[in-house]
Amino acid sequence: MEIFANFSAGLLTVLQPQTLLYCFIGVFLGTFIGVLPGIGSMAAIAMILPLSFYLEPTVAIVMIAGVYYGAEYGGSIASILMNIPGTPSSSITCIDGYPMARQGRAGVALFITSIASFGGGIIGMVVMAVLSPGLAKLALQFGPAEYFSVIFLGLIAASAVSNGGALRGIAMVMAGLMLSTVGIDLTTGDLRFTLGVPELRDGVHLVIVAMGLFGVGELIASIKANQSGRGRQEIDYTKFYPNRREWRASFGPIWRGGLIGSFFGALPGTGQTVASAVGYAVEKKVSKNKDQFGKGAVEGVAVPESANNSATQTAFIPTLTLGVPGSASMAMVIGALMIHGITPGPRILTEHTELFWGLVASFLVGNIMLLVLNIPLIGMWVRLLQIPYKLMYPAIIVLICIGVYSLNNNVFDIWMTLLFGIAGYLMRLYRFEPAPLLIGFVLGPMMEEQLRRALLLSRGDAMVFLERPISGGLLTVSALILAYGLWTTLRNSRRTKTTQTHNKTSSNTGASS
Amino acid sequence: MMRIELENGHRPTLGQLVERIAGASVLLALSIYFMVGGLDLGLGNPFRPGTGAFPFFSGLVLLALAAAILFQDLQCTGITDRPDWVSFGAIVCALSVFALVTDRFGLLPATFLTVLTASAPDRSLPWWGKVLLGLFMAVLGYVLFIEALGLPFKAFRGG
Repeated sequence: MEIFANFSAGLLTVLQPQTLLYCFIGVFLGTFIGVLPGIGSMAAIAMILPLSFYLEPTVAIVMIAGVYYGAEYGGSIASILMNIPGTPSSSITCIDGYPMARQGRAGVALFITSIASFGGGIIGMVVMAVLSPGLAKLALQFGPAEYFSVIFLGLIAASAVSNGGALRGIAMVMAGLMLSTVGIDLTTGDLRFTLGVPELRDGVHLVIVAMGLFGVGELIASIKANQSGRGRQEIDYTKFYPNRREWRASFGPIWRGGLIGSFFGALPGTGQTVASAVGYAVEKKVSKNKDQFGKGAVEGVAVPESANNSATQTAFIPTLTLGVPGSASMAMVIGALMIHGITPGPRILTEHTELFWGLVASFLVGNIMLLVLNIPLIGMWVRLLQIPYKLMYPAIIVLICIGVYSLNNNVFDIWMTLLFGIAGYLMRLYRFEPAPLLIGFVLGPMMEEQLRRALLLSRGDAMVFLERPISGGLLTVSALILAYGLWTTLRNSRRTKTTQTHNKTSSNTGASS
Repeated sequence: MMRIELENGHRPTLGQLVERIAGASVLLALSIYFMVGGLDLGLGNPFRPGTGAFPFFSGLVLLALAAAILFQDLQCTGITDRPDWVSFGAIVCALSVFALVTDRFGLLPATFLTVLTASAPDRSLPWWGKVLLGLFMAVLGYVLFIEALGLPFKAFRGG
């Protein structure tokens, strides 16, 4: 009953005209940016962060959340219509969405996407409302050692399963941790690594790091990709509504996708892409329509979209109740809250009830907005995709510049963004993912603080991290994930080597014959 | 002993070798910088870790990881995609133009010139198209950020 009362109070908060307006702006802008191929939810959140500083914390977080799930939804539009995933998690939607578009069923695929995203979002919202209070109660028993270990787990989970491999992922986390030490040490007041630059006394701003690595870095990478990869398909948009068979075929996958997505979204380090992939694999196993998967099965669109959106909502569970983000987007949410003076953690449910339940209720309102906005606006998003990218990217670069400049009205921030943009682009070229760096950067100060506290309380005994049961358990799980990540990296590197040797042998044989 | 060679069996040129090890080398340099800085700041003791302890030990872990990555990169190709230096240059110049112009001439000229610079290498867009896009973005920036959001930007400044 308490949940219903809290949810009703949250709903009243969201239904305030200002919150409602910014929820709409968030959802709309998120969809708009998500539709653009190559620019994901992280870049979208980075672009909107400076604007959020001018808003009330609840309104700001509702808007950021709207951008987040709006971008995830928008990403599926480019996947279906052009076979170019707008966001990494929507790449699974390409498998059946694009064949549906080629068969003249693009409208149906987009319609099912909207319904599945809505269904998944609602499932994720319910899971969040039910699980969060219990998890927060458990987390109230946490001391500094447990917090350190949970942050450590979050960092390992986010890096060990990164696309570039565990070694590179962990290296990026370490780089992020080191970067987070730039500026004044809050415990001792000493200046660290400021190079004598006064602007670096307060450290590097989260927006600068995020805009540089994701905004500028992704933009440079996407210019070439969009020049060569964009093709226009002759697609029939007259058929929008699914028939009875398609409705029936989508119902089960939406439920299953929603539940799978809720589980994976709440686990740090996995996120929407894993949720979509697992949802698709499970559906392919259980579906009666297995043969049609990959050829335009409606279930193949419903399940990843539902899983993806439900994971987007449940990703907020560890972020808000434990203060541990599972992804770079969630790290930015934590950063935005901290800029507003709110420390995420178990006390957020008691000290910032309005914010927490307002956010939960905003998922309902925001998903309804997505549904209402997107079904009639499918044609508009289609036309947006037809605007040449050569007109889009100069406009995006201007928005990035203005967004960064608005932080302090100081051009030093632009130069720093440029530096991080160059780093972000080069990191992509060398297969270093920027996401673990950002997570390390956000969690670094918290990790250092909890480490210091734990050691102070244990009188310098580092065994405290292993002796306390919850902390020891979390570190054991971290070690297992780390071992798995390193084993996968080693296996992949051996496979690559074997393939190279094989190619060399075949080319030598070919040359000699 | 480890043998360094390309996929076709040839030994890599100096340029190719530099390309392979550049990423890991930057990480190595970064880790050493933070370790040395951490030592200067002071490591403290286990009971009360010093200001430099966290960056020092983070640097130490990164040093080990960077060495492993360097070893890994020597055995495979350095970069996966060919870099798009034209787009890279255009975006770098566009951000630089914004940084140089905003404080001297104001937001509108900065926006206009940033758009022109970013779109300069694109030959498929005619010059008047670039000018129109620049003007459109300048006006949009003024209406959205100065008029609607009330951000404290100057539309024009006196040089």
